[in-house]
Amino acid sequence: MNDSFKPKIIYFLCSWCGTGGSETASAFGLHYPENVLPFRVNCTGSLSTVYILRAFLEGADGVVISGCHPGDCHYNNGNFRARRRVAIIKSILDTLGLEPERIWFRYVAHGEGKRFVDTAAEFNDYIKKLGPNPLKTRRDI
Amino acid sequence: MRGAIFKIEKDFDKEIRNFLKKTIVKKFFGAILIPCKVPANDSYAYLLIRDEALIEKASILPPVMPIQGGRVLKSFTRLGKIDAKVAVIMRPCEIRASIELSKLEQVDLTNVTLISVDCPGVIPLSDYLEDPVKGTDTFKEAFKTWESDSVRELCKVCYNFTLTGSDLHIGILGSEQGNLFLIPVSEKGRNLLDFFNINYENDISSWENIVKKKEDERKIKRKEFRENLRQEIEGIDNLLKTFSDCLNCHNCMRVCPICYCRQCFFDSDALNLPSTNYIKRAENRGSIKFPPETLLFHLGRMSHMITSCVSCGSCEDACPVSLPISRVFSFVAENVQNLFNYVPGMSVKDPVPTITYEEEELKEFENPYIETYNIQRM
Repeated sequence: MNDSFKPKIIYFLCSWCGTGGSETASAFGLHYPENVLPFRVNCTGSLSTVYILRAFLEGADGVVISGCHPGDCHYNNGNFRARRRVAIIKSILDTLGLEPERIWFRYVAHGEGKRFVDTAAEFNDYIKKLGPNPLKTRRDI
Repeated sequence: MRGAIFKIEKDFDKEIRNFLKKTIVKKFFGAILIPCKVPANDSYAYLLIRDEALIEKASILPPVMPIQGGRVLKSFTRLGKIDAKVAVIMRPCEIRASIELSKLEQVDLTNVTLISVDCPGVIPLSDYLEDPVKGTDTFKEAFKTWESDSVRELCKVCYNFTLTGSDLHIGILGSEQGNLFLIPVSEKGRNLLDFFNINYENDISSWENIVKKKEDERKIKRKEFRENLRQEIEGIDNLLKTFSDCLNCHNCMRVCPICYCRQCFFDSDALNLPSTNYIKRAENRGSIKFPPETLLFHLGRMSHMITSCVSCGSCEDACPVSLPISRVFSFVAENVQNLFNYVPGMSVKDPVPTITYEEEELKEFENPYIETYNIQRM
């Protein structure tokens, strides 16, 4: 693993469960890598695919999306819709050969501080192994 | 499948026009929306006809598709249902776009009878406009052989060229033998034929066989086309090369029947950024290209409308620099739609994938949590 490479990771958290998870983590004093940037959205179902794409094209090395567990969504079905969107965007990137594995989708509940921290750490290691996002240095985007 | 068989003498166009004329004279339809040649004789436009004499001027199968029928129907019925019964004659991809739009609540199909026609494809708009007379001849040729090189690239490999989600289908494949097929699909279509006492219980297997044969041919062609296109566009280098000529004019979005948003995200102030933003981005990667965000526009638009893309090819016709947009979109659309087992525009009943969900699905897109990950790591 290349230790000098510090990936830039955007972590989209829904404001009910994902963000709650990060609060629980802070209450327990758990740590996650500093290069993971949490980004709060109201619901993962409200996250447009364009924001994920924009993060990639502007140089994020990876994107994680965490919302409520199935059945726990504050808006009843936001997380199911988010899953469909993630499926669409990953399928598009896959078809065009643009590394869909840089997107992760994992449920994190309000109380699961450890799960939030673990996900951040695991994804960070995973992206370190993958290497930097080739779109980051392209000048003709 | 059952349908009515019409004996025709030479011109299927004339036969259908006569039939449509009768529907207006007998007041079954209040109006008919149909493509007609413009007075300048160099293009076609949709005309909403109430005067039966004008049906003479209509063209059932124009050689080009300057405007997508779905868009026409949207501007006609966006504010609610039509009072009178209206028949709409369109190509299958236009019908499918209309049905998608009706599911997205942009078109009201309540009093609309959709009539589709077998479609041999259309000629690229730029080719036709160069020489309309020659264009009409090439289209006649394409209509005869049903696999001409002069039609659009996407039309060559389209296998949804026949019966889709319409109410009544007019089968003209094999009409050289003097037969024309009227196939009612829904209640509206059957009502129309009942009204004119047309028996639609005939066996139409001769038409079905030709369609099946053509479909299979096209499917093989499509496979080949997909393989070639994949090599052409796959990967960052190839993709950026493909889209490098984009002028950022957004014509493809404006002609797309599925792009119905009144304010597109890519026209909005969300992408009107202060100069400091560009300077920061230029700093990050050394330089930044202007117009900015062309790839983001194409991929973003794709991710918004791809589940409903009907592969009509309008975007490519409208592109001033002839990018293969419709081919790329159609290629990606097939993969994404297969994910949801969805074929856009086939039925009003199955909902658009983005506005519905199932609780147990797409598990392969979730990343399961490994509880012991951090312990292993230490």
